[in-house]
Amino acid sequence: MSDSKQATAGIKEQAAWRSKANSLLQNQTVLLAVTLLALGLFFNWGSGGMFLDLGTLGTVLDDWGAYILLAVGMTFVVITGGIDLSVGSTVSLSSVVAGWVMVGPMHADLSITGSAANPYLLLATFICLGVGLLVGAVNAFLINVFKIVPFIATLATMGAAAGMAIIISGGMPLQGPNNFDLGLDWKIGDFQLPISTTVAVVMVITIIAGLFLHKSRFGLYTYALGSNAFATRGAGISPEKQILKVYLLSGGMAGLAGAYAYIRLGAGSPSNGMGMELYAIAATVIGGASLMGGVGRIFAVALGTLVLFVVQSGLLMMQVVEVSPDLKQVIVAILIAAAVAVQTLQNKNGRR
Amino acid sequence: MTGEVIYEIKNASKRYGSVVALDGASLKIHAGEVVGLVGDNGAGKSTLVKVLSGAHQPDGGQMFLDGKEVRWDSPRQALESGVETLYQDSGLAPHLTVSQNVFLGREITMKGILGWFGFLNKKKMEYDAHRDLEAVGIAVPASNRAVSQLSGGQRQAVAIGRAVAWAKKVIILDEPTNHLGARQAGEVLNIIRNAKAKGLGVIFISHTLPHVLEVTDRIVVLRLGRIVKDAPTSEFNGDTLIGTITGTIQTIKVEGD
Repeated sequence: MSDSKQATAGIKEQAAWRSKANSLLQNQTVLLAVTLLALGLFFNWGSGGMFLDLGTLGTVLDDWGAYILLAVGMTFVVITGGIDLSVGSTVSLSSVVAGWVMVGPMHADLSITGSAANPYLLLATFICLGVGLLVGAVNAFLINVFKIVPFIATLATMGAAAGMAIIISGGMPLQGPNNFDLGLDWKIGDFQLPISTTVAVVMVITIIAGLFLHKSRFGLYTYALGSNAFATRGAGISPEKQILKVYLLSGGMAGLAGAYAYIRLGAGSPSNGMGMELYAIAATVIGGASLMGGVGRIFAVALGTLVLFVVQSGLLMMQVVEVSPDLKQVIVAILIAAAVAVQTLQNKNGRR
Repeated sequence: MTGEVIYEIKNASKRYGSVVALDGASLKIHAGEVVGLVGDNGAGKSTLVKVLSGAHQPDGGQMFLDGKEVRWDSPRQALESGVETLYQDSGLAPHLTVSQNVFLGREITMKGILGWFGFLNKKKMEYDAHRDLEAVGIAVPASNRAVSQLSGGQRQAVAIGRAVAWAKKVIILDEPTNHLGARQAGEVLNIIRNAKAKGLGVIFISHTLPHVLEVTDRIVVLRLGRIVKDAPTSEFNGDTLIGTITGTIQTIKVEGD
């Protein structure tokens, strides 16, 4: 009798534990954190103990910084049920325009370095932001006025922006004033932190964007539009206005990513953003955003972006088995497929 | 029992190309009155609803709200003037919570600079949503739950509750009992009675004639874009209502043409 009672209690406890574990696995953030930990340990073993190191983390975060801005903008777009393929080309175009302004009208070249370059870099950042906003405005115009689906509209601007970047730059990097210290990791005494000024700024922007997405009216309308556009319009909200804002945001973020690339390289190059849109979309999806709209969280996307670059850096450092750098793309593709598969499974278990 | 005329449409017409969707329709809704709007498919119900809710502008005719002539350029204008519409199957945003849906388009923001940036007062909206829905007779589960986690009946209840809670003067319900079980439909009809008790003018569009006969004070029958009958519900039974809708029972207006 008491045995069976104990057994029932045991089963109940087990069931409770299992449902708890299940709901934890339902949580994208937890899942990503566990994945990151596992990847970190795996690559540390694979690299002969070199991977779990602040220097490596600094490198990973530098790459992360280049993509997270795009991924954040993409998250807003994807939540509305859209997509923005133009972000990579916008990185190229904006950095090229900034470079052109520096060497052209400003007559400022790469001999200006260090903190003397800072005002120039600030100006370059604003130019990049402006170019990004412009591309975003064109995207929104094509989507709102001509009713072109986002995929095609942004495919068109992707091509146009990439072409213009090549025309303006003549296909060559435009080298202007630079201050590479901004991209160097901070040091406290002899102790090297994994964070540079540029990465720190990017982190702050990411956090602010996250607050707006999850706590503000702008964020709420973004979700509402992707969840049910008809109901959103019925509530008196203009979907067109929201689309304009969201694509402006995505374009602006791409412009800032262009500034990030410019500051890191000290040059605007037409190849700065090549292929970045695919990684941005991958990071967004790995971070749990649904391309169907209505779903996505910034913190999870930030972790998803980190997963992407932990894998990339980790593969390069593998010593136990040699991994060809060309395999990177394949691995990223597998990651995306896995992320979507996990989402599908979660949805199956999560809904009644 | 019913009050003043609160919403009126006079001689409204609407055509789409060569199709006459609405042909000189006139209709009055009183405060505290439930008017049933029925008709076969293509009779012009949807068009009339769209004109009344501000989604479409009529080609001709006039509209009066509280005795003042109005003209809606957008549904938003109608909303702000107190005419609330629940469209067929438009429902709610499934990814948002109950309170986010209730307050969508009318969010409560925080005080001070955060409010200026559009940051939302989530706690207050959750509390108020619960209170407002309860007030119109809906027992809602936690208002911080996503709508996608609710049953079909609960969702519809939230959608209607939202409309009733916000409506100042008139509420237009397009097929609110569609796809609902008997018990859930009964709950929806109760909400409609609550809205009526609140003094709202209610326009109830439905294909489910027993519901129409049960909850309305007056029934308006549309056929081929015209209002062919407008009479107290007590003058109808199931058979005469179907006859009027399909045209097997001749109506005076049609003969007069």
